[in-house]
Amino acid sequence: MDQTEIDALLAGGGKSPRKPKAAVPAAPPVPAPQGEPHKDGSGHVISELDTVTAVTERESNKVMDQLDQISRLVSRQQELITGIMRHEGAQSPGVQKAIHEVMSAGKEIQDKVFEAMDLMQFQDITRQKLERIVHHLRQIHDYIVDLLGTGLKSDAERPSISHTIAQTGTTPDENKAHADAVIEAYKSQKKG
Amino acid sequence: MKILIVDDSSTMRRIIINTLSRIGYADVVEGENGKSGLEKLGQGGVEMIITDWNMPEMDGLEFVKTVRGQNPAIPILMVTTNAAKEDIVEALQAGVNNYVVKPFTPETLKEKIESLLG
Repeated sequence: MDQTEIDALLAGGGKSPRKPKAAVPAAPPVPAPQGEPHKDGSGHVISELDTVTAVTERESNKVMDQLDQISRLVSRQQELITGIMRHEGAQSPGVQKAIHEVMSAGKEIQDKVFEAMDLMQFQDITRQKLERIVHHLRQIHDYIVDLLGTGLKSDAERPSISHTIAQTGTTPDENKAHADAVIEAYKSQKKG
Repeated sequence: MKILIVDDSSTMRRIIINTLSRIGYADVVEGENGKSGLEKLGQGGVEMIITDWNMPEMDGLEFVKTVRGQNPAIPILMVTTNAAKEDIVEALQAGVNNYVVKPFTPETLKEKIESLLG
């Protein structure tokens, strides 16, 4: 929800605001939450977490759209500068040097854009960590249902989850050496 | 070379596609879970698979086992947040050729792809 929507919601006393017609690229709709309906506390929390996940994925894709756009613009700029470089009036050493500096700055921007795109992996990692929390909430919910002998157990299908989130890193390649060592050990054991 | 990318996160698929195009692999097809991955694979032409593990409907492990039942040779790279030793071993036993733990750098993805194709 952006500021326009929040302002409209506040002004309308909690009624749903109208969608702002911002010039942003079309983003995929937020899928319906998979958790239980708001029958009880855990279903509500699961549903909220699903919404958080869906919204962050949608917003991350908007950031990716913007980064793609910057990348395309920088490429276009590099093409234009290459054209200028070949121009008869741009052959003096001073102009050529300046053009090379602009080209090099453009490349630096492009590299930073790619770096920013790679950093967007945090969205998927956070999503999977939330999925793990949802898994625990559902276990608690089902345990309470069993204990009290009343209520409905969780039934919505969820993605599989990792055994633990404790080992999930946040820095790129944090676990590379560990994974490579396991692969190496497995392959040598198989050979032997 | 056509590469199939299977991941339920559209952001992650975009990141992988972007990395692949930077290292010279622009021909990609996408699946959002194991089930749709199998459908895409069935359409033919795929020479390599990059798959996530944790996905709804059909997870990456089940997907890899199914693929291996049909195609023992196709290179499969698993890219996942699962970093535990037992997970890595389980994936290798299922038929994965190599394994990358998220988050990864483009250099790692490149290194792993080249080692699979080399």
